[in-house]
Amino acid sequence: MIYSVQASGIFSLWMPVQGIVSIMSAYDEHGALDGLRRSDSQAIGAIYDQYFSDVYRYVRYRVGDDTTAEDIASDVFVRLLEAAQKRQGPQSSLKGWLIATASNAVNDHLRRHYRRPTEALSESLPDHDANVHGEVDQREQNRMVQGAYAQLTAEQQHVLALRFGQGYSLEETAAYLKKKVNAVKALQFRALAALQRQIGEVGP
Amino acid sequence: MNVYEILEKCLVEIEQGTDVDTVLFRHPEFADELRPILETSIKAKDMAVPAPPADVVRRNRAKVLQRAAEMREAKVKPSSRVWFASLRRLAVTLAVVLMLFVGGTGLVRAASNTIPGDDLYPVKRTWEDVLVLFTFNVQEREQLEFEHENERLNELDELFAEGRSVNVDFAGYVTRQSESMWRVSGISVVTSSQTDLPDEPVAIGAAVRIVGVTQSDDTVLAERIELLPAGSKLPEVEDDEPEIEQENSNGSDQPGEDESSSGSENEAPQVEVTETPEAEVQPKQESFEGTLESIDSKNNIWTVGGKKLDVSTAEITGTPVIGAAVKGEGYLDPSGIFVVTKIEIADSGSGGSNVNDNSNDNSNDNDDDDSNDDNSNDD
Repeated sequence: MIYSVQASGIFSLWMPVQGIVSIMSAYDEHGALDGLRRSDSQAIGAIYDQYFSDVYRYVRYRVGDDTTAEDIASDVFVRLLEAAQKRQGPQSSLKGWLIATASNAVNDHLRRHYRRPTEALSESLPDHDANVHGEVDQREQNRMVQGAYAQLTAEQQHVLALRFGQGYSLEETAAYLKKKVNAVKALQFRALAALQRQIGEVGP
Repeated sequence: MNVYEILEKCLVEIEQGTDVDTVLFRHPEFADELRPILETSIKAKDMAVPAPPADVVRRNRAKVLQRAAEMREAKVKPSSRVWFASLRRLAVTLAVVLMLFVGGTGLVRAASNTIPGDDLYPVKRTWEDVLVLFTFNVQEREQLEFEHENERLNELDELFAEGRSVNVDFAGYVTRQSESMWRVSGISVVTSSQTDLPDEPVAIGAAVRIVGVTQSDDTVLAERIELLPAGSKLPEVEDDEPEIEQENSNGSDQPGEDESSSGSENEAPQVEVTETPEAEVQPKQESFEGTLESIDSKNNIWTVGGKKLDVSTAEITGTPVIGAAVKGEGYLDPSGIFVVTKIEIADSGSGGSNVNDNSNDNSNDNDDDDSNDDNSNDD
């Protein structure tokens, strides 16, 4: 019967190329980019599985809120689909493109929404369930640091999110920032110094 | 070395597990300046976020894939799709033949038990396609396709058991329909505003292909539903959900609609009952009797007098033995299967029984060992 050949064909016949690739290595960037240009759902799924966690963690570090982070992170992947359809998607580094887009999306979000200082939040929402003192202290400190962090410039936030939120090396951070290593050394110094000052201002 | 470089050096050392004091001891000239900076860097690191929870990953995966499917649909014209598919088919066949030359059939064997999301799953699907392509006998090919469709349903069961969220496609008969929940071959299919539905209305009993994503609540979120030609040979799965939700069941104004549009060659097991048009809309109790010929205990399907009966919700009296005379009551479900509500097994015997104490007897004409000549059509 012809129908199932055609109907299933659309969804399964492209798979072998992808399949052979995935037999050889779990994730193949070149194959994924190629699949993305063809709007191939398997390739898109593979890209998502490979990078969603990184994008989410970057965004969550910068915005400090789970729901907003989820919305922005999934929006980054939708932007990837749209860019690929317009042939404006990434050509080489998918992760670089995704992190840069995530950074822009966060900047847009922060421009649109005035962020209430988070130290006010820590007073209004005491932790009832956290009975371990250390845990409470750590959360309090994180809230305070998050409040101070929110006061930094977008670039300072970006470098700290990459270097300390994601744990990237100096060289990787420089590649994502498209800056020279020496420039990033200076930038991270200034960002940490600024954060320290802000903590001094908002802290106890 | 300037302070920026010393800072980087210290950060790397701290990263490797050295404490701040030890690190600064090596750079006494910068100690005062760098101490607060390094302490701040630890605070910045403490703020790092763990990986997102699994439900967040799944939810957004479905969202992104749904969006991708919409964009793909908007882009690809149906005519070019067929052309493209056949070209791909050729490429794929060549790839698999090459694979067989290189790796023998071990790969295909290894792939035979995979499910969607496994690395070797594409090999399994391609191999199925190749088998179909090289099967020239029409009946054998249909049988093969039927088996593959059955395999799709088994894979879905495994995916649900594992709670894996992955792209799937499968075919089946629509047994129930409500606003956003369909039941297709025993699988719950969720539709959303973004689901691409066929242009023409889909009736209960119609054969459809579902393309979507499995979800953690054992449902498939449909990206697209395609209507398959009437008479498509697909696996039958008895529906284990007793409640009947039919969107068009509000009133019996159009009882004929389901009959006419459901696949006429639908191979649903049917019991010849005294059918009335109302029976399609409001299940009407019918009685039956005959000889128990086979028992499919896995699916709770018994064959009585050549007819398949769903006994999963039946009140069973006596011990079911092949060859025993049975009688009981039930109704014809809109999906085409006869659902038994009550069944009684007489002592096992070689022939059927002729206990015709029920005035609602149905005809079992082809029951050769049991001539129920006194069957009367009670309507």
